[in-house]
Amino acid sequence: MKNTLLSLNEATRTVNSGSNKVTLLDNINLNVEVGEFISLMGPSGSGKSTLLNCIGMLDHFTDGGYTFLGEPVHSMKEKNRSKLYKEYIGFVFQAYHLIDELTVYENIETPLLYKSVKSSERKAMVADMLDRFNIVGKKDLFPIQLSGGQQQLVGIARALIGKPKLILADEPTGNLNSKQSEEIMELFAQLNKEGVTIIQATHSESNAAYGSRIINLLDGKIV
Amino acid sequence: MFKNYFKIALRNLWKNRTFTALNVVGLTVAFGVALLLGMFAVFQLSFDRFHDHGDTIYKVYSEDSGPYGIEANTSKSEPFAAALRDEVTGVEKITRYSGSGVLLTYQDKQLGMGTAYVDPDFFEMFSFPIVKGDTENPITSESSVAMTEQAAKRIFGDENPIGQTVTILRDEVEVPFNVTAIIEDFPDTSSIGFDIVLNFKSQNEHAYARTVGRWDMENHEVYMQLSEGLKPEQFEKSTADFTQLHYKNEIDNAKRDGFEPNADGLYRQIKVLPLADVRFANFNQGVVSVNRTMPYLVLGISFLILFIACVNFINMSIAKSSQRLREIGMRKTLGANKKQLFFQFWGESILVFLMSIGLGILLAVVLLPYFQTLFRTQASLATLLNPSLLILLIFSVLLITLIAGGYPALLMSRLGTLQSLKGKLQVNGKNRLRNSLMVLQFGIAILLISGTLVLWDQVEFMRTKDLGFNKDQVIAFPLNGKLNDQKAIELLRNTLQDKPNIVSITASNNILGIGKDGNRTTSVLGFEHKGRGVDTHMLVVDADYVETLDLNIIEGRSFRKNLVSDSLSVIINEAMAKQMNEDDILASQITLDDASYNIVGVIEDFNFQELDQHIAPMTLFALPNWNLRNVYVKVTSQNLEQAYDDVKTAWNTIEPNVEFQGSFLNENIERTLRNERTMITMIGSGSILAIILSCIGLFAMSLLIVAQRRKEIGVRKIVGASVSAITVLLTKDFLKLVVIAFLMATPIAWWTMNKWLQNYPYRIDLNIWIFLAAGGIAVLIAMLTIAVKTIKAATSNPVESLRTE
Ligand SMILES: Nc1ncnc2c1ncn2[C@@H]1O[C@H](COP(=O)(O)OP(=O)(O)O)[C@@H](O)[C@H]1O
Ligand SMILES: [Mg+2]
Repeated sequence: MKNTLLSLNEATRTVNSGSNKVTLLDNINLNVEVGEFISLMGPSGSGKSTLLNCIGMLDHFTDGGYTFLGEPVHSMKEKNRSKLYKEYIGFVFQAYHLIDELTVYENIETPLLYKSVKSSERKAMVADMLDRFNIVGKKDLFPIQLSGGQQQLVGIARALIGKPKLILADEPTGNLNSKQSEEIMELFAQLNKEGVTIIQATHSESNAAYGSRIINLLDGKIV
Repeated sequence: MFKNYFKIALRNLWKNRTFTALNVVGLTVAFGVALLLGMFAVFQLSFDRFHDHGDTIYKVYSEDSGPYGIEANTSKSEPFAAALRDEVTGVEKITRYSGSGVLLTYQDKQLGMGTAYVDPDFFEMFSFPIVKGDTENPITSESSVAMTEQAAKRIFGDENPIGQTVTILRDEVEVPFNVTAIIEDFPDTSSIGFDIVLNFKSQNEHAYARTVGRWDMENHEVYMQLSEGLKPEQFEKSTADFTQLHYKNEIDNAKRDGFEPNADGLYRQIKVLPLADVRFANFNQGVVSVNRTMPYLVLGISFLILFIACVNFINMSIAKSSQRLREIGMRKTLGANKKQLFFQFWGESILVFLMSIGLGILLAVVLLPYFQTLFRTQASLATLLNPSLLILLIFSVLLITLIAGGYPALLMSRLGTLQSLKGKLQVNGKNRLRNSLMVLQFGIAILLISGTLVLWDQVEFMRTKDLGFNKDQVIAFPLNGKLNDQKAIELLRNTLQDKPNIVSITASNNILGIGKDGNRTTSVLGFEHKGRGVDTHMLVVDADYVETLDLNIIEGRSFRKNLVSDSLSVIINEAMAKQMNEDDILASQITLDDASYNIVGVIEDFNFQELDQHIAPMTLFALPNWNLRNVYVKVTSQNLEQAYDDVKTAWNTIEPNVEFQGSFLNENIERTLRNERTMITMIGSGSILAIILSCIGLFAMSLLIVAQRRKEIGVRKIVGASVSAITVLLTKDFLKLVVIAFLMATPIAWWTMNKWLQNYPYRIDLNIWIFLAAGGIAVLIAMLTIAVKTIKAATSNPVESLRTE
């Protein structure tokens, strides 16, 4: 059963840097099916993060078409767009981006707050997630009290708690040692098996190998 | 959600506790002080607002054309009120009003009582409710007395006052009065004050009987209530026939003497002033002006102080927001929308504000007694406990919180997701805002400091100015006992005769400055001189007046020791001589209705009124058996305290039942400067607070800047910058702001102070040094504030600062 999650059609992103127009993403055509695990590869500065951010609707293409679950994102109002990504997309960042002032538990809980999930339901969901990632004992710690790998686990848990259809991971293991990296990748593979679509940006061949498809970027173009 | 916000707010406030503390301290002080000042202003502004019919009650006065232009005259004659009511439509109710002090006796108690002599309409017009006794006709009878609950308590203690008889000293006779009514104690915000109320006709011979039917003797005030729906301007217009009828002579004379008519082209016009304006009205300088500057100034200062504290809050919140960029970005990626972010950050501000407001109220409560003493006000927090005022108060607090807390929150909620995640912040625009706000802060501080300095200078000038009489060696006190004035003075002379430290003793019907009893009167006399109307202040004096006060005779002579021989002589001041414009002034006479008086001497002008008035023409009379109200005793300069005690002892033996209310004339002069002193204290404390709060903000900014530029400082030191070079580098941006503030505030301060000084014919010249001093103070304090952190940063080990990056 092939089901299209999102498709990019001649998607382009340009920015004005001084008087020059710089093209960051150049006529990208891409189809992502539900259940795929895609690895974006390419040298630093090739546009991987930009592409992920645009797909994740944190940023937007300046030209071309972007369809997500059959809905035309490129012609959507900001409000509907944020509704869409709140519902379907989870982010994992290289720098984890946990909120320092919140505990592990609270960090994981936050997306549910913005989705107005009821308190009792919330508790159950967070407890499940802590259990699943084996971090129940750490739930009252603050991010700085955790190792990098543990922080990224929390980051992933937080991305997953909203039950997203798509996870966008921008160099999720960039700050981790190889053992920690492996664990995270295993986790991704596991999630992917459970049906979550994943797009990850990575430099590492071995990480890319976990994916079902590799896309190479160079100077904003798919090669 | 709320819990999550609350937790993160508390954790953030705790994490940045230095800044939280700076903010809470600043805002607490600002709210506390603003509360006190606001209370003071509201108290002032609510004067006479408690009367149910207040909107239709007016004080009646007239605009008279005189040689110096329009004069406002609030004194009215005995037949005036009744005639106005009968002849002009629109007078719903009317009452004459005269206030004075009387000596009341009950059994063996003798008490001085503030007395209002009024007509029966008084109780129907004003809301002075009668709680006990005759509510219908409390003072219709001329032998009735109504009194406040407080006064009744003082006189009768717990006895039932109604039906009791007290005696009141009138024309040296104890006259019995029957207590008919008890009046509810009225609020402190009443400009009409009294302990007891008597019928207008119950006044002494001099004040009432003598004046009956006379239109030319004006000695009391008149209040009236206008008919519903009638505009005061309409009423004023409709009095033209009335004035034509009763003041024909005065009007004709004014025309003849070429005086200027008033704005309506009339030479005499009856005017009415709303009751609420009475307290703020100035009747002494031409056309009546109503001036609420003082309360509004105080309100203004409280707003400025709140503003300064809020600026600190805004600046710190914006500067600190860079630390929360990642949180903002992350929350956005997790699905937070702008509104949610705004409410989160705004909520944090509200938390700080609530804390500060709570502490501020506490601070106000603690400071209240000191505040009341310092500013001699009865204002209390109860002043603010009025529903509409409370709503206004809550509303303004919400507004302040919305703006001061909301603006940074708005900025933060608007940041782009990606930029915040990357920790990038476009700082330039916000620095401009910060800088402008800081310029404003320091501008306000400098404005207030220079205002304080100018005010202080002017008051010192007025206090030390040579007023033309001896104010250091003369003790004055009111003749407040039972004895006849002449008798009392004679006894005093006899008692003090042998004292070597007493130089001379005199008396007059007027006081210089303000005495301890606070009473004063002026009498102005108008007469015709060679076909012209002439006005003069009238002063009736006892022997040795000129000598006791060291007035300078410039022509002619003083009164003789044997005063009786001078009962038809007068001495005039230079201003009067100038007004009479005679070649040989000593050969001239002043002709009044009853007699002609020879001018026997001219004295140099002296400031017998306050320094906000020009020296007016004045004539000294030596009329026998006149009502002389005040004694003046000149003492030797050696031991002033001993002399004061001697006078006091003498007076206590002569009048054992009354208090000796003597004070040196320089103290009396000081009392006239009370308003100015209050203003200095007010603006002075305002300026101190303003500069402290501004410096709290500056200090916080310097902390942040030093933290932000740590690395830069390290690099510069490694390449050889000296400590002083780095200190200059770090301070100069801020000092520049203070200097700009100075340049902007000074012209405003100059203009304002110059305008204020115009109120005083005798005034200091503004010079640039006062303003430079104010600016200098601000710069110096600012420099010291920044120096603490910057010098520490400049002297720190560069390697350390680089390592932490
Ligand atoms: N807002 C922007 N304005 C200008 N240039 C940008 C902007 N965002 C990214 N770039 C540039 O676009 C290029 C691609 O960046 P990025 O997507 O972060 O690459 P990657 O993640 O593959 O290393 C880089 O050269 C980067 O400097
Ligand atoms: Mg990247």
